[in-house]
Amino acid sequence: MAEPRFDELIHPSTRLSIVALLAAADWVDFGFVRDRLDLSDSALSKQFATLEEAGYVVTERLLVNRRRRVRVRLTDAGRRAFDGHVAALQQIVATADQTVSR
Amino acid sequence: MTQSIGANDARSALTTVEHSRQQVIDEIDMPRWYWLGLAAGWFGMGVISDFGPGWLALSVVPIFGAVHASVAHRVLSGRKRSSQLSVRAELAGTHIPALVIGFLVALIGVTIAVALLVNADGASHPATIAGAFAAVIVALGGPQLMAAVRRRAVRRAGP
Repeated sequence: MAEPRFDELIHPSTRLSIVALLAAADWVDFGFVRDRLDLSDSALSKQFATLEEAGYVVTERLLVNRRRRVRVRLTDAGRRAFDGHVAALQQIVATADQTVSR
Repeated sequence: MTQSIGANDARSALTTVEHSRQQVIDEIDMPRWYWLGLAAGWFGMGVISDFGPGWLALSVVPIFGAVHASVAHRVLSGRKRSSQLSVRAELAGTHIPALVIGFLVALIGVTIAVALLVNADGASHPATIAGAFAAVIVALGGPQLMAAVRRRAVRRAGP
């Protein structure tokens, strides 16, 4: 269980969806994330740039079957931040549930 | 910092996380061509056993096994259905190759049993009939097997 640590950078809905997708995979193709989240290339690139700047993701440009592909993966720091953020969210919910049940 | 959002926002965020995880779990599968190729190969072995020359009937099983081994190692993990992502091993589970191999071994037994039964019944092409029977099970049962794996992954991932 990760230590609860709310992460302001990850929390916005679109970014949380992106990081959660990446957290469940070793690597993900740029197009997969774009299509699943229904984002434009430029909007997704901006999100990745923010996450990359924070050291949470790395992008690799590859040539696969003569096609240019961009693969994205979560770094160890990004995974720790995501796990800590999810733990923080669960803690908030658990605390609220305890308060209600009293 | 952890109290900067309310419980409803936190619940909504956790739902977002679950939704994303589900989208990746949906990708746990093996390529459709694998199951169709396996079914075609199984049927082909039956046909060759009944109609082919003796030397080919004897060598077709090891040849099929070798071809399968060379192809299967790339897809058997169930984590790379497409070239778009690789599902994390802890999410997919490490049991998929053993599960698929077990399914195929059981199917070998079923094929032999069906061939013996059909032969005892006096049919003229028992291996072809048994191969067709097994091919249908592979083509329909393979994707069902992977659907069961995905359901298990959802349960393992938890709420």
